[in-house]
Amino acid sequence: MSTPAPPVRDPAWSLSRSAIGLWVTEGVIGTLVYGALVAVFVLFVPDGGPVPVLRWLLPTLLAVYAVTAIGVRPRVRFRVHRWEVTGEAVYTLTGWLTRTWTLVPISRIQTVDVTRGVLQQLFGLATVAVLTASSQGTVRVLHLEADVAQRVADDLARRAELVRDEAT
Amino acid sequence: MSGPAVPPAPPDGVPPVDAGIGTGTQPRRTSPRVVLVHTATFRQARQLVPVLIPIAALIGLDDGLLTVVVMAVVVTALSLGAAVLSWWRFGYADGPTAVVVTRGLLARSVRTVPNDRIRGVEVEAPPLHRLLGLVRVRIDAAAGSVGASGEELLVDGVPRAEGDRLRTRLLARRPTGAPAAEGAPPPEPPVEEELSRFQPRWLLYAPLVGSYLVIPLAAVGTLFRLVQELPDAVVPDLVGPEPSPHLLVAGLVTAVPLLALAAVVGAIVVNWGYRLVRRGGSLVAVRGLLTRRHTELEVDRIRGGTLSEGLGMRWVRAARVNALVTGLGQANRRGQLLPLGPRAEALRLLGRLVEDPGPLTGHPRAALRRRLARALAAGLLVTAAGAWAAAAGWWWVPVAGVVLTVLGVPMGIGRFRALGHGAGPRSFSVRSGWLVREQAVLQRRAVVGWQVRQSVLQRRAGLATVVACVGAGSGGYAAVDMAAAEVPGFTAAASGPWAGTLAP
Repeated sequence: MSTPAPPVRDPAWSLSRSAIGLWVTEGVIGTLVYGALVAVFVLFVPDGGPVPVLRWLLPTLLAVYAVTAIGVRPRVRFRVHRWEVTGEAVYTLTGWLTRTWTLVPISRIQTVDVTRGVLQQLFGLATVAVLTASSQGTVRVLHLEADVAQRVADDLARRAELVRDEAT
Repeated sequence: MSGPAVPPAPPDGVPPVDAGIGTGTQPRRTSPRVVLVHTATFRQARQLVPVLIPIAALIGLDDGLLTVVVMAVVVTALSLGAAVLSWWRFGYADGPTAVVVTRGLLARSVRTVPNDRIRGVEVEAPPLHRLLGLVRVRIDAAAGSVGASGEELLVDGVPRAEGDRLRTRLLARRPTGAPAAEGAPPPEPPVEEELSRFQPRWLLYAPLVGSYLVIPLAAVGTLFRLVQELPDAVVPDLVGPEPSPHLLVAGLVTAVPLLALAAVVGAIVVNWGYRLVRRGGSLVAVRGLLTRRHTELEVDRIRGGTLSEGLGMRWVRAARVNALVTGLGQANRRGQLLPLGPRAEALRLLGRLVEDPGPLTGHPRAALRRRLARALAAGLLVTAAGAWAAAAGWWWVPVAGVVLTVLGVPMGIGRFRALGHGAGPRSFSVRSGWLVREQAVLQRRAVVGWQVRQSVLQRRAGLATVVACVGAGSGGYAAVDMAAAEVPGFTAAASGPWAGTLAP
C-alpha cells in the first residue's frame, strides 16, 4: 500500500511498548471468548443443522480473527498511535485502519481523568482522558506508563486552570 | 402573550433575604389549581391504565358500558389523589445563589442548581394551563460534556405573573450582568428589537416539511390505538363489507389534500403568532396556538446557527434556523429561531447570529465517487440478490433493486452537491446532507477541538473528514470528504492559532 502524506502532522511521541503486550492480551481474551462460542455451536448444533455452511465458516472466521487480533493489530496500532502535549494543545493519533487525529487546546479543557483498567494495572499502564464541553471533543491518550499519565494529567489540569477562558 | 415587554417587576412578595446564602428563602408552592389540570390530563395516573385493564379483565368484568364508567371513575379518583399528593410534596425556592426544587412522594429528592449554571428559562402555557391562568416553567441547567438529559428543572403550574417573575429574576441574576447595587432595579429598561415575525403565507410551506406531515399521521395512529383499547361495546360498528378498489382509490385521492391540510393545521398549532425579539442580552422566541411557548436564550452563549433545508423545502426555497447555544439541552427544540420560512429570511436571521463566512468551497471529485458508491451500493446489492430471487419467482425483487439503483444516482449527486466548507475572518461553515441539508455556521471561538478522520479508502482517494468539536448543538459538525491537503489550512483559518499544531 502506497502511503500518501497524511492530511495533518503526526504527533511526536509514541506510547509505552507495554501497550503491545496489553493489546495482545486483549486479542487473546477476545479469541478465547469467540472460540468458546464457536465451540459450543460446533459441538451442540446437530449435523445437517439449519445452515451447514456455518460449520466450517465460523472456525475459519475465528482463525482469521485470532491472527489479526493477536498477530497484526497490536503492532499496527503501536506504530500508528502517537501523542503529544504542546505549549497550547493536546494532540493524539489513534486507530489502525481508520486513523483519527484529535486536537484540543489546553484553554478549552474542562476535566482531565486518569483511569486504570484491570488489564492496564497488570501492565502498569493508564489512560488520560481530556474532556471538553463538546461530547465529540474528547481526547484519550491510551496506555501511557502510569506515572507518566499522572504527571501529564496534573500538568494539564494546572495549565488549563491558568489559561482557561470560557472553556465552551 | 398579548402585552408588550413585561417590565422587570421588583421581586414582589419575596421577603428580603440575607444576601449570600440561599438558606434564607422559604420554599414556595405551585398553585393548587394545578391539581385540576393534572387530574384532567391523568398526568400521574397515566401509567396505571395499562395495569387496570388486565385487572378488570381478571375480575371478570365484561365489556359493558357500566365497566367503562366504573373504570373512568376509578381512574379519575386515583388521578386526583396522585395529583394532590404530588402537589403537596412539591416545593421550589429561588434563592440568591441557587434554585432548589424539592419533590417526591416517598423518596424525597432535592435538586439544587446554582444560578450561574442556568442557561435558559422557558415558560410554556398548554391549553388547560391557560384556561386556569397557569404556566409551566422549565429551567435549563448547563449540560456537561456527557448526556444532556435530565439537566432541567420543571416547575409545573404557577400563576402567569409568578412565572414571569421567576423568569426575569433567574435571568437577571446571572453573573455576566450582575449589578453591584443589591435590590436596585436594572438601570435601563431592556430595549426590544423585533428580529422576525411569522407571516401566515409561510404556512403554505408546511405540506412539504416532513415533521409537519408526521403530525397528522401520528394523530391518526393514536386514534386507532385508542379505538382498539376501548371495549368493543362502545365502538360503533364501522367496518362494513369489504371495500371495493374504487373506494380505495377515492380514499387515496382525498387523503393527499387532507394530509396537506392537516400539515398546515399542525404548523398553525405549533407556530401561530411566532415572534423573535432581542431583549437586552437575550433572544426571546414566542410561539404556539394552544400551547404558548416562551423561550429565552442568552446572546452571549450563542456560538452560531444551523440552516436546515429538507428535500421538499428546497423546491420552494424554504428553510429553518436553529441557534447553537452552549450548554443547552434539547437544542433542536429550544434553539429554534425560525421554525419555517423563506430561505432569504433564514439567511438574514442567521446573519444576525454569526457573520457570513462567504461562499463555500466544494469538495473534490473523489468525494463524488464515494457518495455515488454508497448511494448505489444498496440498490446493486438488492439487484444481485434479485437475480437469485427471480429464479424463485420473486420477479419484483430485481425490479426493486433496479429502481433503487436508479434512484441512487440523483441521491449520490445531491449528497455530493451539498458538501462544502468555508472560512471567513470571524466564522466558518460546513454543509452536508441530502434528505435534510444542514449548513452549520459557527464562530471561530466556538471550536473546542478538531478531529480529523481518514479511513483506508479515504487515504487512497486523498480525502479526509474534519469534525469541528463544539460545545453546542450536536457536539460536532463535520466537513465530510474534503481534500486532505486542505485540512491544515481550513482548521487554521477556522479557529485560533492553536490549530497550527496540525500543520505538517
